Amino acid sequence: MTTVLSPHPDLDDNILFDRSARTRWRIGFDRWIGRLLPLLFLVAILPILGMVYWVSEQALPTLTWTIIVGQSPYATDQLGVPIIGTFELMLIATLLSVVLGLFGGVATAELLSPRAASVVRMTANMLVGTPSVIIGFFGFFVFVLYFGWGLSLIAGAVTLSMFMTPYIFRTADLAFTSVPRHIREAALGSGAAPTQYILRIATPIALPQILTGIFLAMAIGVGETAPIVLTTTAGKLAPTSLTSPVTFLTAIIWDGFNQGSGSPFFVLAFQAAFLLMVVVVALNIVVRVVAARYQKRLEGLYQ
Amino acid sequence: MSTQNPSGTTTTTSDQISSPSRKRSGTVGMGAAVAIAIVLLLVGIAGGYFLGTYLNKSTTSTSKTTLTETGSSLLYPLMESWGPAYTNYTPNVILSPASTGSGTGQSYAEQGLVNIGASDGYLANASATNVINVPVAISSQLIWYNLPGVPGHLNLNGTILAMMYSGAITTWNNPLILAAQDAAQVTALNGLSSETIHLIARGDSSGDTFLFSSYCDMSWSGWTFGASTTALSGDKTSGITFDTGNSGMVTGVEGQSGAIAYIGISYMSKVSGTGLNYAALGDNLSNSASGGVNSANYVLWSPANVSADATLGLTHLDFATYGLAVTLILGGSPYGAITLQTGGGGSNPTPGTTPYPITNLEYTLVKTTAQANSQAIVGFLSWAISYGNAAQYLTPIGFVPLTAEVAGYDMQELATIQ
Amino acid sequence: MSQAPAPASAGGREPLPTAAPEAPARSSSGHGLSVGRLLSGIPALVPAAIVVAMVVVLLEKSQLELLPGFFSSDWNPSIAHPQYGIGVFVAGSFMTAIPAIALAMAIGLGIGIGGTTYLPRNVSRLLDPFVDLLAGIPSVVYGIWGFVVVGPYFGAVTNPWLYSHLHFLPGFGGIPPQASGQGLPLAIFLLTLMALPITTLLIRDALRSVPKDLWESGLALGATRWEVMRRVAIPYSRRGILSAGFLGFGRAFGETVAVAMVIGSVASFPANVFGTTYTMAAVIFQTVDAAQGSSNYLQALAEIALILLAISLVVNIVGRRLITGFSSEQISGL
Repeated sequence: MTTVLSPHPDLDDNILFDRSARTRWRIGFDRWIGRLLPLLFLVAILPILGMVYWVSEQALPTLTWTIIVGQSPYATDQLGVPIIGTFELMLIATLLSVVLGLFGGVATAELLSPRAASVVRMTANMLVGTPSVIIGFFGFFVFVLYFGWGLSLIAGAVTLSMFMTPYIFRTADLAFTSVPRHIREAALGSGAAPTQYILRIATPIALPQILTGIFLAMAIGVGETAPIVLTTTAGKLAPTSLTSPVTFLTAIIWDGFNQGSGSPFFVLAFQAAFLLMVVVVALNIVVRVVAARYQKRLEGLYQ
Repeated sequence: MSTQNPSGTTTTTSDQISSPSRKRSGTVGMGAAVAIAIVLLLVGIAGGYFLGTYLNKSTTSTSKTTLTETGSSLLYPLMESWGPAYTNYTPNVILSPASTGSGTGQSYAEQGLVNIGASDGYLANASATNVINVPVAISSQLIWYNLPGVPGHLNLNGTILAMMYSGAITTWNNPLILAAQDAAQVTALNGLSSETIHLIARGDSSGDTFLFSSYCDMSWSGWTFGASTTALSGDKTSGITFDTGNSGMVTGVEGQSGAIAYIGISYMSKVSGTGLNYAALGDNLSNSASGGVNSANYVLWSPANVSADATLGLTHLDFATYGLAVTLILGGSPYGAITLQTGGGGSNPTPGTTPYPITNLEYTLVKTTAQANSQAIVGFLSWAISYGNAAQYLTPIGFVPLTAEVAGYDMQELATIQ
Repeated sequence: MSQAPAPASAGGREPLPTAAPEAPARSSSGHGLSVGRLLSGIPALVPAAIVVAMVVVLLEKSQLELLPGFFSSDWNPSIAHPQYGIGVFVAGSFMTAIPAIALAMAIGLGIGIGGTTYLPRNVSRLLDPFVDLLAGIPSVVYGIWGFVVVGPYFGAVTNPWLYSHLHFLPGFGGIPPQASGQGLPLAIFLLTLMALPITTLLIRDALRSVPKDLWESGLALGATRWEVMRRVAIPYSRRGILSAGFLGFGRAFGETVAVAMVIGSVASFPANVFGTTYTMAAVIFQTVDAAQGSSNYLQALAEIALILLAISLVVNIVGRRLITGFSSEQISGL
């Protein structure tokens, strides 16, 4: 909105043309604040750019394809083993949390009574708000010690999935509750059984939002350190069984930090950080694309 | 009722088909939900246990065995150099070491979470948790300081160090410190631009802290922090910086002028910079005297001096009672204190030698109960005690080989692993 | 006529919250509760089961008794008679989280107001992903960036400058700041960046949901955009803004890894605002493996975890209730 200051004979009384000092001050203040406040975006943008630049600066000069792919056990400069470790952790954790979160979300949206549903939603929200170290603490005692799984791939993956499930749960729940009412009523009114309704009609509509939630949960999961560090131990080989030790990218960064700038791990830590940031940015882009298409599709539903 | 907003979001008020209190038939209500939750918990617990026993029963017949090791950052460089060498020797076994601090090494070994736990200090009461202490090398600790312009090696002792870390001595030109140095060093210390002592300690649960705090504990009656892997964690002396791992200590002392830090010998080659040097350590018989000016009272680090201290401490070894859980600090006191005299050498049970005070056995902690990797562990440790004690591995990091007697006892210990 | 709700915001750690759509019509028809229904309800109770299990395990580990001296500030787990006073950690968690959320709210308000009112829609749409990206970066990367890059800068430039100019103020004097830059200022800086996406997103959404007629009537009465914002929009979206504060605080309070890397990890109160200290989340993370040997040590850590969990849960629940009121609606994503 721009301020028009040219007088017009019919608009003599309009406040726009009030030239008193106080009004001029108000308008000026508004203009200046309007210039100042958007500058605050820089507070968010500059650190990101700084981080990306700095990580790339440390990681890229020595980054070669061998480093990313190499898996020789005693090389201190290869990321193949941690990458496979992260991949396997994420695979198991995502599978588990998608199954639990998706079915759980659908059940909450469709199956539970309103009171039960609100309690269940509250517990899912509570899980989301739990600090990651407490989930790691819990995972360590229950999975590693009580259940006897040891510091292993399975313990890390299941702990991670406990972290990721509530995000997918909430997204699935919301996706199904936001299926437009008239579609739901039309389906049920035409005699569809609830299962048919869920599978054939609601899921395709809710799918983009669910996918968004899954990718977001994956972006969060791939960057988690505390819960997995507490439940796994480092291994030099790619994990061969569910109980084997596993190394993963965030552990490399954490170890690099602990070992200090003198150790050969330090540069490797930056390269791991670089790869992680690439993955996170990629996932974010995918989420945006999916969300944009979801927008379009939903708008199409209302025609 | 919905109202539309310019951004396309919708604000709604609650408008449900059913009021929240009315339970709709066909839906799962609160009671059913609680029942499901309880059943779920029970099933989950049962399933978890079942999975655990199943996983531990199945023997993985993969071609490669991974031995997991974690713990002491002082032993870590040796483990790192041993790994490739041992895999060369026994191709199917890979060693996977980690540097997490002796405290973690001890507790993880006790719980059986790793195959080998590494610790700079022995695990007391190890048999209670079916763990054995198996030393694999003899190491030592240096006291590094960052004082540009001060020539040579400063003479320090346990009393002075204990007083520093307790806050009783706060400046480098304290009379107690000056009394131990030669003239050139005194001038340099008095001429420092900042006299403040910057203390650096380990923040993680560290065997080096155990060694250092043991040394302080034995040296000064006013030491209140005891001797353990976390002895200094409650140290509220102002200006103390906590770093993680020996490598963190290296960075810390290099980066701060006037700093002092206790660093394991295996990191000696990693400390570099002007003004960085390590101290010669002397005896400490009284709280007030600093051992005199005669630099012959102060022992500089050397492999020979480390061996001298180790031999002294091991003379009193009573394997039957204590196993291999002995301290070698100050020549193994309380098994026999050394006193260094003016004129050099010192009066100790073996006159003519100069024992370096902060020396220790590097322990690996292993469970005696049978596990999947037991034979591989025995194989590796047997190799380590014999082939692994060669100069090519130990000398670059300043370690000293085990004595034949200790090696023999080690093999006895290893034989108890099922 | 129902309107499509805005989708979960793409990118970033927490998707956009929007007000819930209309309450769902249950798709279950009146056929009664069958076994099949019960079985399919099982996954829904998983979060509840996990929360219950978590609380039970923590309570069991804490042995349901408070250690003596629990609320003191002496934390000395290793001496002959160990002390487990957690005062330092509780104080440390609050000392880092409160300034961080204050800053994050201030900046978030600024960005929110600037983005909704003063920038054209397509420009703000271009800039929003950057804020989301702040949320997506793993906290360990924040930590290592903070420790290696920002820390030395703080230690060499910012802290000494502040110290030399402000040391007469209470709390700023005393020991000069460390060269490594570790300490409260660095931790607060990182936590602000991590809480910023949450506050910005929630405030922006709260402001965007102000009805257009309110806006326009304000402007028509001769108010400037700022005045409408200040006197109309912000009071209208008070709840959303407050909830942004609570949820962002919850995030800053529970942050573990990044804080552990830059806070200095020393179990004592900081000597001044530049000092190093410890937080509840960081101490649990860094000492749990070494605490295995002593059951009292574990007990102390479990009790710290319980307190941390309780505070996080309360903050989160209050934050969400503020947005959704007390109905059973739900906000999307966040």
